[in-house]
Order: sequence, then structure tokens, then C-alpha cells
Amino acid sequence: MTKRSHHAEIATGKGDPQCFSNTTSAPSKFKVGDKVRIKELPDIFYTRTQVYTRGAVGEVAVVTHESPAPEDESWDNTDHSEWFYIVRFRQKDLWPEYPDCYANDTLQTEFSERWLEAVK
Amino acid sequence: MNLRNKQNPPKDAPYPDIFDHKMFRDWMRTPHDVGGEDDVPMQFEEKQEEQWELNTYVTCECLAWRGIWNAEERRRRQNVDIGNAMYLGLPYYGRWLLAAARIMVDKQHVTLTELMNKMEEVKKRHD
Repeated sequence: MTKRSHHAEIATGKGDPQCFSNTTSAPSKFKVGDKVRIKELPDIFYTRTQVYTRGAVGEVAVVTHESPAPEDESWDNTDHSEWFYIVRFRQKDLWPEYPDCYANDTLQTEFSERWLEAVK
Repeated sequence: MNLRNKQNPPKDAPYPDIFDHKMFRDWMRTPHDVGGEDDVPMQFEEKQEEQWELNTYVTCECLAWRGIWNAEERRRRQNVDIGNAMYLGLPYYGRWLLAAARIMVDKQHVTLTELMNKMEEVKKRHD
């Protein structure tokens, strides 16, 4: 039989992602207000980074937590943690046909650090 | 801006000379990534979960509690591994239930033969 992960045990009494606090090897690369672009990484097999965000530029709204990235955790690999960010986009920057009369609308979604690159 | 579409097969097993990188990216798009796809409104029904749906949820939580999977592995299996046709074609908790059965077989906690025999045994109880 495959070895059991006992993910539940490390999270008991703390919660997930709290159980991964202080497990990254470096401080967060981005801070609130930073402009970031979503990278066009391969999306074979599993990801939670939506296609409609690829290449889009947004602004870091919250530096949220540390956790293994979904791409690793989904195969039960929790060896490496990353910082996670909530990024805010203008809806008009995501959808070409978004109406001009709602120009202030925004959308927020979450990414692990590997998906973000700094925009000058 | 990057809007890719999920593809329906233009023909079975296309020859590689017509299968370019754009087609590859379209095909690799994960089934749960539906944002931006064309669709029509769904009929919303005010309806409580059925008993089997509640049982399925508890079964999946027990599998996590016992260290068989974590929530992200469950999501991968029920939302992505299952493929586009089943992602859209099965009831929501049907995908959970299939994923629970599948991981027990994949991680060798039961054999597919044992699972088949059990399903047949339970079915006979209701004949």
C-alpha cells in the first residue's frame, strides 16, 4: 500500500494553511500594492491558475499565507512551501468585451509565488 | 489576455502535423478552469443534499482524516483527472464519490476486483 501522508495530523489543532506557517525558505518576494504579471507556465495535469489570468497585470491586494503550491500538494508533496497572494485585476484587463460603463469593477483571485513576475 | 478554449475532437487521434502548440495548450486546459467559456444560464433549484451526497462528503473527509489524501489531491482527482466529459456530465457529488473509489484502488487499499465484487453484492441486496 502507498504510504499515508498524515496531512491531517500536522493540521490538527492548527488548521491548514496555518500548519505551514514559517515553512518558506525566504521572505515574500512581493508586497501589497506591487504590480505583478501572471506567468504563462505550462498547465499540464493540475493547476489552479485560471487561463484568463495568464499574462494579465494586476496588483497585490493581500499577502495571505505560506503553503505548498497546489501543483505539488495535489500529489501529496509538501516538501517546499511558497508565499500566496491575492491579486486584484481590473475586469477590463481580463475580458476584452467588458463594458466601459463598469470600468471600476475588479476581480480578486489567489496565486502562489511561482506564478507572479514583477512589472516595472 | 489569454483566452483558450477547450476543444472537442475535430477527428479521432489527429495526425501530428496538424496538431500545433496552440492546440496542445487548448487540450491541456484543465476541466475545472471554466472561466470565460461560452455557456448559457443554468436552472437554479432550491434543493437539499440527498443522503448519498452527505455520506459521500463524510467518506471523503474520513479519507483525509486517515491520511489517504489531502484536500488538494481530492480536488485534482475529482475536478481534473476525471476529464472534461465527466466533469460536466456527472452530478457534483458523483465526482466526489468516483474520486473516493478511485483513490482506494490507485493506492491499493482495495483492488478493483474487490470493489467490483462489493458493488455487485450490494446491488443484489436491492434486486
